[in-house]
Amino acid sequence: MGSKPCFIDKLVVPGDVVLDLSSMTNQTIKLGGGLQQDHDTVTVVKAGILRFSKPNKYWIESSHKRYIPTVGDAVLGIVVDKRADSFYVDIKGPMMAFLPVLAFEGGTRRNIPKFEVGTLIYTRIVKANPGINPELSCMDASGKAAEFGPLKDGYMFESSTGLSRMLLSTPTCPVLEGLGKKLAFEIAVGLNGRVWVNAEHKSSIILAANAIMNSESLTPVQQKIMVERLLDRVN
Amino acid sequence: MDIDRKDGRTANQLRPLSCTRNVLNRAHGSASWSQGETKVLAAVYGPKAGTNKNENPEKACFEVIWKPKTGQIGKAEKEYEMILKKTVQSICVLNVHPNTTTSIIIQVVNDDGALLPCAINALCAALVDAGIPLKHLAVAICCCLTESGHILLDPSKLEEQRMKAFVYLVFPNSTLSVLPEEALKVRGEPMEHGLITSSTHGVMSVDDYIRCLERGRAATSKLSDFFRRNLQSQVQSD
Repeated sequence: MGSKPCFIDKLVVPGDVVLDLSSMTNQTIKLGGGLQQDHDTVTVVKAGILRFSKPNKYWIESSHKRYIPTVGDAVLGIVVDKRADSFYVDIKGPMMAFLPVLAFEGGTRRNIPKFEVGTLIYTRIVKANPGINPELSCMDASGKAAEFGPLKDGYMFESSTGLSRMLLSTPTCPVLEGLGKKLAFEIAVGLNGRVWVNAEHKSSIILAANAIMNSESLTPVQQKIMVERLLDRVN
Repeated sequence: MDIDRKDGRTANQLRPLSCTRNVLNRAHGSASWSQGETKVLAAVYGPKAGTNKNENPEKACFEVIWKPKTGQIGKAEKEYEMILKKTVQSICVLNVHPNTTTSIIIQVVNDDGALLPCAINALCAALVDAGIPLKHLAVAICCCLTESGHILLDPSKLEEQRMKAFVYLVFPNSTLSVLPEEALKVRGEPMEHGLITSSTHGVMSVDDYIRCLERGRAATSKLSDFFRRNLQSQVQSD
């Protein structure tokens, strides 16, 4: 059993068998996106890099243009329609998401927020089951508004889900760190591949947005250099 | 045993392969696949909400649209669409996104023989790019039988026209596993020896067909290695 292949941090393609559950009976493991249990084995259904986080989480890391809703993700949605009891929000998923009009801090029938069609909102997914529309909420788990809510002004652009995840990673990714040293700007990143940037000056918004869009295919060192060059050119 | 081919290849030699993914900006997944002069572009849109009429809403539904290089689609293209659809349905995990439709558009850029296998390979690369859940990948190959009974792999258009018969074969890719090899075998044979799709044109005897299968299997292991290496290089460049 000594020379078992290990796939952690390596590329796996659909069909690969990455875990043998019969040899790890006394453990509880958690499977994330891209993995599926098939009797005593765990197989891959999406190509990507297999990640493992101690003690027991396994998932596949990949980047796509389409977003599959998952409970707990913070996303940027666009209001598409308004009904009596909920807003219809586009979150780039297979189906429209519902945002109940009462899912706001202190929300009652008397003070329903007025969102026009096209409003960009930063929100959280609370229900995501296959086959039914996902449900959103503009409150955190304790019922506070936190940072959730409509985003006014600024500029929103679409990215891949991989870029969003990179921007949200800890430690802060070099692009944001580099930009943050020189510029003052606000950013909201949705895991569904939407990024919103706002700043006092229009030029800063454009600069930050371009730097982020360019950083997708670059390594951390290249990102740092790219940001420094951009900032040198404007100052 | 050696026979002459116009381009100087041996009977088992494939034409140079190339695959690029994420070539289209607006599609959710796309890939271009070329084998020699044959080139196909595949685009995947979706999954989108709702299924078409006459489809099972408890499963994911796929629609395949074939765009020929020129002109309208005819019976042959309709048949290709059907074959592609059945192949996709057998390699995808259909119960992850029930009641959704995924559109697949196949654009032929250039046809120089072995068009359908090339389209299946392009399609599979595009599905991987779009992140559609798959049970395994599919690799396709065209084998053809000459008048003299020799078998050629991956024929060009000219060779295809002169052949007595040809067969398109689709196999699962070879997978890596933590399990010992014995455990993966289905009835004593490795998983990648299973056949997903087979479509023959012309007349061939059973013995010839079995020989084609063996040659096809041997060649697809090269194809699936190419596929894996291609995915790897893309990941490393990110």
